[in-house]
Amino acid sequence: MITIYRKALSFVRRSYMLQMSYKFEFFLRLFFMFFNILTYYFVAKLIGTAGMKYLEPYGGDYFSFVLIGIAFSGYLMVSLRGFSESVRDEQMMGTLEAMLVTPTDASAIITLSTLWNFIFASFRVLLYLIIGVLLGVSLAGANVLGALIILGLTIVCFSSIGILSASFIMIFKRGDPINMLFMSTSELFGGVFFPITVLPAWLQTVSHLLPMTYSLNGMRHALLQGYSLRELAPDVGTLVLFSVILLPVSLLAFRYAVRKAKMEGTLVHY
Amino acid sequence: MRRSSGGGIIGETAIETIRLTKTFVAPRGLADLVRRRPAIGGITPVDGVDLSVRKGEVFGILGPNGAGKTTLIKILCTLILPTEGIARINGFDLEEESGRVRESIGLVTTDERSFYWRLTGRQNLEFFASLHNFYSDDAKNMVEELLGVVDLKYAADERFLNYSAGMKQRMAIARGLLNDPSVLFMDEPTRSLDPGAAQGLRDFIKEEIVKERGKTIFISTHNLEEAEELCDRVAIFDDGRIKVVGSPADLKASLGDGSKLSDVFLHYTGKKFEERGGTAAPGFRRDRRGFPHRGGGLGRRRGGV
Repeated sequence: MITIYRKALSFVRRSYMLQMSYKFEFFLRLFFMFFNILTYYFVAKLIGTAGMKYLEPYGGDYFSFVLIGIAFSGYLMVSLRGFSESVRDEQMMGTLEAMLVTPTDASAIITLSTLWNFIFASFRVLLYLIIGVLLGVSLAGANVLGALIILGLTIVCFSSIGILSASFIMIFKRGDPINMLFMSTSELFGGVFFPITVLPAWLQTVSHLLPMTYSLNGMRHALLQGYSLRELAPDVGTLVLFSVILLPVSLLAFRYAVRKAKMEGTLVHY
Repeated sequence: MRRSSGGGIIGETAIETIRLTKTFVAPRGLADLVRRRPAIGGITPVDGVDLSVRKGEVFGILGPNGAGKTTLIKILCTLILPTEGIARINGFDLEEESGRVRESIGLVTTDERSFYWRLTGRQNLEFFASLHNFYSDDAKNMVEELLGVVDLKYAADERFLNYSAGMKQRMAIARGLLNDPSVLFMDEPTRSLDPGAAQGLRDFIKEEIVKERGKTIFISTHNLEEAEELCDRVAIFDDGRIKVVGSPADLKASLGDGSKLSDVFLHYTGKKFEERGGTAAPGFRRDRRGFPHRGGGLGRRRGGV
């Protein structure tokens, strides 16, 4: 356990140093985040109470609703892109082979390579929430423990999908269907910009198949309305179920992908 | 037991392969996989290779471009899985105990891209040390020692992108030694170096890695002079097959007085051996970006690295 912690720290340090060698890009990313938030702030002002019927379960305020949506959907984006991009970046930089000839397991390498992305995503979420509070979002009654539990499960679920995506990249190099599927459907069906109750009933069925739906639903209830752990149980339970299924499947798929790439000699091809 | 040409002690088997074969088939798309369409054609860069390399030995694989040398090294480093055959490194099975194999080997390639160019030499080595399960002070001390061994202490805190070709190669050697491996694989280590730097590296391999540290070296080379100077035994390798194995002196003697290693190659493969020009681009050793390295390349330290 201590070994993996120290190894994780080493990966984070490496990624941080690489990121800080491109300081301008780092600060630009932070700067333009503000424009994103402001856009939704003014859209929310325009909407006013028009969507009250749908927003009532989340406190009735659209800006609060969408702020949580865009902040936490970032984790899905990081997961979907992060793992496959890590594989691809290391392949393109030529460092993947040098890493794989060490005793560190390939799954650990790929997982730890993405850690920095999650830390950056968390930092972004924190900034989103701080700016949101400054713009009037109330988190006074938030159930922080509940939110952290949902956050942990969200990361496990989304990471599993990301590792599946990286497995495709390892074999096919480009054209990863997992990434495309979740990227294109999660924002529409996952309840990032509007409650899924806006969708026709038959489309809501699709929403219920996505971990994003439960993640955002639980997070909004925990942060905006302070739901107790008991009240959050349905969302937490579903996320646990997703995690239990997706995590081992994704790790097996990645192991298979590495083996196949080693068999075909395409480990460093991109 | 006997002494190797570099002064190390040659003992029991370090590397053993039995009918090791690798066949690559053309990459297939998703549709082919889904339809389970059989793969068509393929190439066999490693074809039934039987090898036995003793501990402490410097063993060379001598062959032209495309002979399969790199594929063989990648198989032995667990980066490519063989199609058939068995291989053991330090007694560990390549497939069944790949983790144990990786703990006991080091790999030195000529691919300078295999480092993080925007990190310093020290940061690079410390990161790779953590992949070998060395952290904090252990990693720092080991990196400091290895930087001394390859004589790069003075440039340790400069970014890797500022290093000359010779310095990058020294870094690759330092990385290969991070876990103090008993077997060190070197894939054409002098390929991108000018003649002076290449000679420095050869001296370093003999003096420091073989004589001082007693490592088993498995080196692929395209350079006859290098094979003669460094290797206790060489394998003439062509079309994925080992044509003959022996010490350079024995191989030459078998063809009569005055024979050269190039004659041995011609005799066993029916092909003329064409050496790759080992000289780097003019001025490449010198630092045109004003990086303050002393003397450049590999031609320093005890007349070596």
